[in-house]
Amino acid sequence: MLNPLAAAPRRARRLDRAIAIAGGAASFSTLAVFGWIVWDLIRLGLPNLSWHFLTGEVETAGRSGGIGPVLVSTLLILLCCLAVAVPLGIGCAVWLSEFVRRGSRASRIVTGGVDLLASVPSIVFGLFGMTFFCQVLGLGFSILSGGLTLACMILPILVRTTLLALEGLPADLRPGAAALGLTRTTTLRQVLLPTALPGILVAITLGVGRALSETAALLFTSGYSTRWPDSLGESGRALSVHIYDLAMNIPNGSPNASASALVLLVLILLINLTATGLTERWTRHLSGTTS
Amino acid sequence: MSQLSVSRLSVRYGPVKALRDVSLEIPKGQITALVGPSGCGKSTLLHTLNRLTDLVDGCEVRGSVRLDDDLEITEATTDVLALRRHIGMVFQKPNPFPHSIRRNFEIPLREHGVSRANIPGIIERCLRDVGLWDEVSTRLDRSALQLSGGQQQRLCIARALALDPEVILFDEPCSALDPLASAVVEDHIAALRGRVTVVIVTHNLAQARRIADRLAVFWVRDGAGTIVETGPAANLFTDPTDPDAARYLSGERG
Ligand SMILES: Nc1ncnc2c1ncn2[C@@H]1O[C@H](COP(=O)(O)OP(=O)(O)OP(=O)(O)O)[C@@H](O)[C@H]1O
Ligand SMILES: [Mg+2]
Repeated sequence: MLNPLAAAPRRARRLDRAIAIAGGAASFSTLAVFGWIVWDLIRLGLPNLSWHFLTGEVETAGRSGGIGPVLVSTLLILLCCLAVAVPLGIGCAVWLSEFVRRGSRASRIVTGGVDLLASVPSIVFGLFGMTFFCQVLGLGFSILSGGLTLACMILPILVRTTLLALEGLPADLRPGAAALGLTRTTTLRQVLLPTALPGILVAITLGVGRALSETAALLFTSGYSTRWPDSLGESGRALSVHIYDLAMNIPNGSPNASASALVLLVLILLINLTATGLTERWTRHLSGTTS
Repeated sequence: MSQLSVSRLSVRYGPVKALRDVSLEIPKGQITALVGPSGCGKSTLLHTLNRLTDLVDGCEVRGSVRLDDDLEITEATTDVLALRRHIGMVFQKPNPFPHSIRRNFEIPLREHGVSRANIPGIIERCLRDVGLWDEVSTRLDRSALQLSGGQQQRLCIARALALDPEVILFDEPCSALDPLASAVVEDHIAALRGRVTVVIVTHNLAQARRIADRLAVFWVRDGAGTIVETGPAANLFTDPTDPDAARYLSGERG
């Protein structure tokens, strides 16, 4: 008689190997697609990159000249967006995790709203921004309108990711703090938030990535102007809008579209690296291996 | 004189009855051990003593707990932040804040209005109290999480002592530690006798026998935890009257 138990391990081992190979193949093809995109951008864009390109005015609708004003507008839009979204998002997550009962009606309504917001396509945010910020609030096509629209858009990622960070904290931190007679504010400010900071940085990084790569929400809100912005009330073209315009509307625009896309990619990469670096330093600081 | 008097205390978590009709006198400066099988409400009793029950939604406390025959702890108007300064607590799993050793003291001390100038002295005194000073005095600014489990637990005791409490509650403080670290922590708890009132929950009967002045045996009766026997530890171990308590203390069950 064959031992029926003996057959299983060999089959299981073969399955193990098959899954490992399939997983490896999937990972490599993902990497290959990414590599191909980057290679294409470098091949097409790098020849046009120069200091002049980064700082110069936009000329002949972007076919020549540089992207200086576009970069400035992009950063201003991003700053407006973060200045509003970060406090709002963290505040909302803190409220959900520390001040209302999980599963209570208030918490269900707010998380439901946040998730609904997350599923709204960005073009709808653009239309909403145009009617609400540009027209109803009278901000017009402006950097401010664009930033505020983006803020609404990245709010769900900020709330969800920060909430995850707060809920992932060790469960005995809160009773430990309470047993020492700490107020909730002190517990939050001195214990919970510092411990959750790496997670909060991840939330902000994800938000920034989403904001920088957004086009549709900005088309109708911050507009197309390629002048150097003098104030937040002026229209200013974001990098993603610039790329879209060069690639879709401007004949012979694609070399500079590639160059701009390369700049955008590097910008996002830099922000990611900075965030990772900060997270590492903060984790080391908390675990005390510095000093 | 009683430091804490619990009388006719009942606690429920929503529909779950955790404690029914518990009365207990906890004498000043002595070590009172709470023993009994799992789920019979020992932690619940500790949590009513420093109002940690407030953190649990749906937890309902009835009856009376008095501190120094004076302050009614269960009263809604009691200042719980001040109360928890008088009644400290050490948990089963060591739970230092994931900050430096120094910050672990600074956060609670600053919260309770101790001036910065006094803090270094308090840190040294309390760390010496738990035998940790020589081990960590040169690395106060390193993370508390780098310490071993036993050292972390002693840090938590020192942190509780820093607020100068009259009472410290210990909820199975040694059960997450190896036998050697456990013995060290136990010695430091025993050394608090006379200075601080200690209430300790333990599953280790040998430990209760070694350090307890008084003993309270918990048991589930009619679906709720209650105290079936209480008295001087020596008497209870040699001559218990309640049959469940007798079997439990002789190690036949539990
Ligand atoms: N937060 C809570 N919500 C609901 N029920 C709870 C809660 N905490 C405790 N209980 C219930 O109350 C009863 C007493 O629990 P408690 O933790 O006080 O027991 P214990 O004697 O400390 O047990 P152990 O020795 O396992 O720590 C148990 O039935 C438990 O399930
Ligand atoms: Mg317990």
